[in-house]
Amino acid sequence: MNVQTDVPVIEVAGLHKRYGEVHAVDGVSFDVRRGEIFGLLGPNGAGKTTTVEILEGLRKPDDGTVRVLGIDAAHHADRIKERVGVQLQTAALYPYLTVEEVLDLFRSFYAHSRPLDWLIDAVDLGERRRAQTRHLSGGQRQRLSVALALVNEPELVFLDEPTTGMDPQARRSLWDLVLRLREQGASILLTTHYMEEAEQLCDRVAIMDHGHVLEADTVDTLVSRRFKERAVHFDTLPGFGPADLEALPEVRRAVAENGETVLYTADVGTTIGALLERMGQAGVEPQNLGIRKATLEDVFLDLTGRALRE
Amino acid sequence: MNAIRPLVVLTRANIVSFLRDRTALFWTLAFPVIFILLFGAIFSGNSGTTYKVGWVDEDGTPASAALRVTFAAVPLLELEDGTLDASREAMQSGTLQGIIVVPQGLGAATQVAGAGGGASGGPAVTIEVYTDPSQQTSSATIQQIVSQVVATANVALTGSSPMLGVDSRTLQTQDLTAAAFLVPGILGMALMQLGVFGAVPLVAQREKLILKRLGATPLPRWTLVGSNVVLRLLIGLVQAVLIVGIGIAVFGVQILGSLLAMIALVVLGALAFIAIGYVVAAFARTEEAANGIVQVIQFPMMFLSGVFFPLELMPAVLKPVAVILPLTYLGDALRQVMVDGTPLVPLPVDVLVLTGWFVVCLFIAARYFRWE
Repeated sequence: MNVQTDVPVIEVAGLHKRYGEVHAVDGVSFDVRRGEIFGLLGPNGAGKTTTVEILEGLRKPDDGTVRVLGIDAAHHADRIKERVGVQLQTAALYPYLTVEEVLDLFRSFYAHSRPLDWLIDAVDLGERRRAQTRHLSGGQRQRLSVALALVNEPELVFLDEPTTGMDPQARRSLWDLVLRLREQGASILLTTHYMEEAEQLCDRVAIMDHGHVLEADTVDTLVSRRFKERAVHFDTLPGFGPADLEALPEVRRAVAENGETVLYTADVGTTIGALLERMGQAGVEPQNLGIRKATLEDVFLDLTGRALRE
Repeated sequence: MNAIRPLVVLTRANIVSFLRDRTALFWTLAFPVIFILLFGAIFSGNSGTTYKVGWVDEDGTPASAALRVTFAAVPLLELEDGTLDASREAMQSGTLQGIIVVPQGLGAATQVAGAGGGASGGPAVTIEVYTDPSQQTSSATIQQIVSQVVATANVALTGSSPMLGVDSRTLQTQDLTAAAFLVPGILGMALMQLGVFGAVPLVAQREKLILKRLGATPLPRWTLVGSNVVLRLLIGLVQAVLIVGIGIAVFGVQILGSLLAMIALVVLGALAFIAIGYVVAAFARTEEAANGIVQVIQFPMMFLSGVFFPLELMPAVLKPVAVILPLTYLGDALRQVMVDGTPLVPLPVDVLVLTGWFVVCLFIAARYFRWE
């Protein structure tokens, strides 16, 4: 196995895929470096899953080049399958087989496979190992499908919305697992529409919409490139709406949503001082006053004009 | 990669899944068993293996009484004395399955024959036999018995030495016609359902993206298809053992042909119908659609392929349908090999037609089957 650290594990250039009239993937290009966790972000129908399935060798692209682990995925998908792990978004499993039996079945497909116990421990399914998969909860099923992606100790793991349907605890534990896999040298490509997941896990993200990659970089770079201001936020008070506060010093923009007034400011101290003074004169105090950086969610909203989870 | 291990593991996984799926178990194993028990009992008649026959003696001589003793000695017959009218009525109401009428003049005729004047022309007395042609089994059996007994009686009455004894084996197999006819037919039907219904889990696996997920592993697709076919063939052989076993144990059917030929036919038939199942799976998008198509295929086939009754009894308009159905040929072939049934077409033709269905469906399935 030739491990060249400087060669990207995934190279996509000018990728196109049409389904009849629908241009699902419309000129997508990006690279994933060895040992990084790369996130593909976008709303449903953005083209994430189609892109990932082309990389997995499940679909043929109409145009463009796709190299996975240095191999042309469009023509030699069979040579890739032994070395990558795949978790599909909604893959149901053999309903009448137990967790152990399904894992053993998949282990038999590969020349090299991880021990059964490692896989079961990795996704915390020890108590359910002898349960038939039809009796598993949605979250447990999802964990099993993640374990199936790790059976062959893959160099590159594809996780398609891996934490959908999981409770917060299971989600945390999966994040730990993904970070552990990276420590062991694996590269991970994951799609998600959870902002927090991308912010916590991904070394770099690509934001997709309508079959295009709009921007790709680290989360910090994406946010700070676009939003130099910080957000000062507090519960909306009558007489202190956005229109009233826009004129405060250093405020660039003021918005109100969901009972909260948000002031984007270039200087937090000056703005808060002026705000408190104005409120003091009126004899009121701001409730739940806070400061935060702009987030990936803000970037997404700005790029696509809509919220990620809708 | 070792190509055999995944095939073995996958086949084992399929078998385990099948054994845990009670619905599948019922339809593939219990259903044919219930079917054969039920229809075997119905077609064999509820009086066990005997036929109630009206005995109308219009002669009333010692000769007719002697003939009655001969008929009464046949274990399959139970004689009910009566007038012709009463017996007819009883047959209409279903209590009698046939009537034997001994006309006046039998006694007189035997005396002439005994005096040595029997060589002149045709029979002096004709025994009339009434049977219901819609009850083809009892009808055929009763007529057969009567002609056997009459043939024997003729020899005895004319005093010449018997040229032939009664072939008791012929009588025996005649008695078992109903079950012997049904067992190969129901085996064929079970294989048909096994293969055609295979489309449903296949489409379900595609719909649930199991096939797609397997496509992301290095597992070759032929392994996937292979393990599926191996599973169905194994079930087919289990069905054959069950159905034939019940035929032998419960209905006393004698398997006359070669076991090897029977197994070969079971495999060929199963393959042809599995291929048809794959064609259905190629065109059905959802599990429900697959189920619907399968019903549309299997129901007419079940009733129009001569599984339950011979094709001669079928209305003429439906015969061309039966001629194209593969189950007609599988049933015919199994009947020929298992119970020496009367061929509809020669055995090689059956084999050729089944092979043709298999090959054509294989090509259609290979061309149109989608993995997702």
